[in-house]
Amino acid sequence: MEVEDNAVSEREVGVPGAPPVPGGGSPPGWPAAVGLLATLVGAVGFVVAFVTNAGTAWLGGSLAAALLGLGVALAYWGRDLAGDEVISGPYPAPHDDAPGAAALGDDLEQSAHVITRRRFLSKFLVAGVGVFALSQVVILGALGPRPRRSLFVTAWRRGSRLVTSDGEPVTRDVLAAGGTLVAFPEGHTDAADSQIALFHFIGGELKPQPGRETWSPEGFVAYSRICTHVGCAVAQYMDEAKMLACPCHQSTFDLLHGARPVAGPARRPLPQLPLAIDARGYLVAQRDFTEPVGPGFWDAG
Amino acid sequence: MSDRRLMRSLRTAFGVRRSPLRRAAGWLDENLGGGSSLLRQELRHIFPDSWAFFLGEIALYCFIVLVVTGIYLALFFHASQAPVVYHGSYKPLVGVPMSDAYSSVLDLSLNVRAGLLVRQVHHWAALVFVAALMIHLLRMFFTGAYRRPRRINWLIGVSLLMLVGVNGLMGYSLPDDLLSGTGLRIAYSITESIPFVGPTLASLMFGGQFPTSGVIARIYPVHIFLLPAAIAGLLGLHLGILWLQRHTEFPGPGRDDRTIVGTPMVPAYALRTTGYLMLVAGVLTAFGGLLQINPVWLYGPYTPWDSTTSAQPDWYMGWLEGAVRLFPGWDLQIGGFLLPAVFWPAVILPGLIFTPLFLWPWLDGMALRDGGFHNVLTLPSERPGRAAIGAGFVAFLTVLLVAGGDDVFASAFGLSLPILLRTLQVLVIVLPPIVALFTYVVVRRRAERWLATGR
Repeated sequence: MEVEDNAVSEREVGVPGAPPVPGGGSPPGWPAAVGLLATLVGAVGFVVAFVTNAGTAWLGGSLAAALLGLGVALAYWGRDLAGDEVISGPYPAPHDDAPGAAALGDDLEQSAHVITRRRFLSKFLVAGVGVFALSQVVILGALGPRPRRSLFVTAWRRGSRLVTSDGEPVTRDVLAAGGTLVAFPEGHTDAADSQIALFHFIGGELKPQPGRETWSPEGFVAYSRICTHVGCAVAQYMDEAKMLACPCHQSTFDLLHGARPVAGPARRPLPQLPLAIDARGYLVAQRDFTEPVGPGFWDAG
Repeated sequence: MSDRRLMRSLRTAFGVRRSPLRRAAGWLDENLGGGSSLLRQELRHIFPDSWAFFLGEIALYCFIVLVVTGIYLALFFHASQAPVVYHGSYKPLVGVPMSDAYSSVLDLSLNVRAGLLVRQVHHWAALVFVAALMIHLLRMFFTGAYRRPRRINWLIGVSLLMLVGVNGLMGYSLPDDLLSGTGLRIAYSITESIPFVGPTLASLMFGGQFPTSGVIARIYPVHIFLLPAAIAGLLGLHLGILWLQRHTEFPGPGRDDRTIVGTPMVPAYALRTTGYLMLVAGVLTAFGGLLQINPVWLYGPYTPWDSTTSAQPDWYMGWLEGAVRLFPGWDLQIGGFLLPAVFWPAVILPGLIFTPLFLWPWLDGMALRDGGFHNVLTLPSERPGRAAIGAGFVAFLTVLLVAGGDDVFASAFGLSLPILLRTLQVLVIVLPPIVALFTYVVVRRRAERWLATGR
């Protein structure tokens, strides 16, 4: 087998249209000169633009001119030289052809043998390193609490008053028929998972779902405002169609029929909050949601 | 000429026999441990020449631009969600409660000199980076550059694509504007959908149940240190292996699997590629200066009770967004447990795409019964089957990308969204095989004609 010569052998090979120039390198010519001029002008322009706070377009334009000019000059010059000098050499040989290929395997096997000869110790080493590596996984536990029940409950309690984001309690007079507002449980206007969209439908439009006949007193109905698809705020109210749509992936929920999904990728209805109206006319929750709000997860089934 | 001769005789007279360049080269050679010829040999490193070999360079130079601009941004960004009330120079948001992070991005965009330029260049560089990586990967694919002995570098390349995409998403999330927060919310929900461990995993990643107050502070070191270090390390490895193996070459006179023909690194290649670095930086700077991107002040701060229409991720996440939109709501109830439908397009699909991508050099080697050693590339037309698979794959991703903006397309072209959605659902299944078949036939016919007529 031939032993490869490691030194790069250099020989000129013919390239059509670009005969080798003796002495190497022809003059860069005008494109490079124009490029370098642009670099000078751009560099000065950038300083002026920066000092005079001339705005993003001037800053970017001058800096870009400088960089592009330099780029054109160098690339053009380099191309010019590349045409002059084309060389060839060997690729590294495939492993199987290399003279030391067999020796490498022998060496490694011998080294491995030196270690595995001590049978007990080498197995102990593997076990020790493995257990040590696994033991470090516990550190991940510090990154966040286990969710446990937190995904199943919100801040709504029996008798929680509905308040607006400013903390104003919502009475039966606040919301005209056909209207909507965003509400939170009193004292929890920062609880993202508790946000609800409140609607007021009159004239028997609303078709309460079986078992939920008492959840929408006087046509007031409240749904979780977190999309059951991937959790965006379901913020688009289409008042004529009585639909609520999610801007993220266009899931659309029919508000008159228990917020069941009618279009888009969401499959589960928006959870409904059981409402009541107390003696003073305030809207309150009968209890928390009866199902987890927001997107689905394994234990939510 | 006479000047030069004079200088030379002066040098000889004063005992300065070697020019500074020679001395520097000698010093380096000695201290690099290469004896007398290592540097000389490596300076003459041969680079084959083709426009197609520029694609990877674009990606590399985008990374350099990202690091430089990122350092500048890091000087002004506050990775904190501490609540503040805005009192800066942007009138429409004065008095609005927001996070310190969002407020600092407004300041660095609107008040810091050149801040907006640098932020926009950073964003454009990220977009072009992923594009360059993808086109570079396609070039590798269609020319068979991944074959033995370059399979490790293929694995590194695909890993880089994943890491860069993830880091782009992290960067998109940092400003804590309405779009970025919505993106985080979706990422949280997708994590939650994983069977058994989803909710726990999501909590570990975000530090609790969404929305958490510490997620920006957590993403920040990952975005500016952890992932960039990983990317830089893999890039170094990628280039180191490339250096040792030499670059592949297209077939041509004097070229074969044992002989490389090209330009020496010094002077021509070095000069030219430095020029390309400047050109890439220049184009990105022109984009950043002249083309507005991600005007976060228009979106407002993230709150869990706002969301906006036409919300789009950066383009390289568009295929994933499209898959989430197209996949039907097939929630599965499994004996008291729930497998949310989003698990399939958002968790399983990326796995289905990246696993064969990683394994491709071996799959291709098995299919063609070709485990041989290759330094010369194949032309796409030489392997109709490979070209067909690649074209079908591109068609699949393109339909998903379009689906990611279906609401935008529907409103821009006055189409009905449900009809467009259904059309795309059909297309994503039907189009890739059609494109693959068409490609196969066309490429095959061309190859046959070439064999018959030599043209």
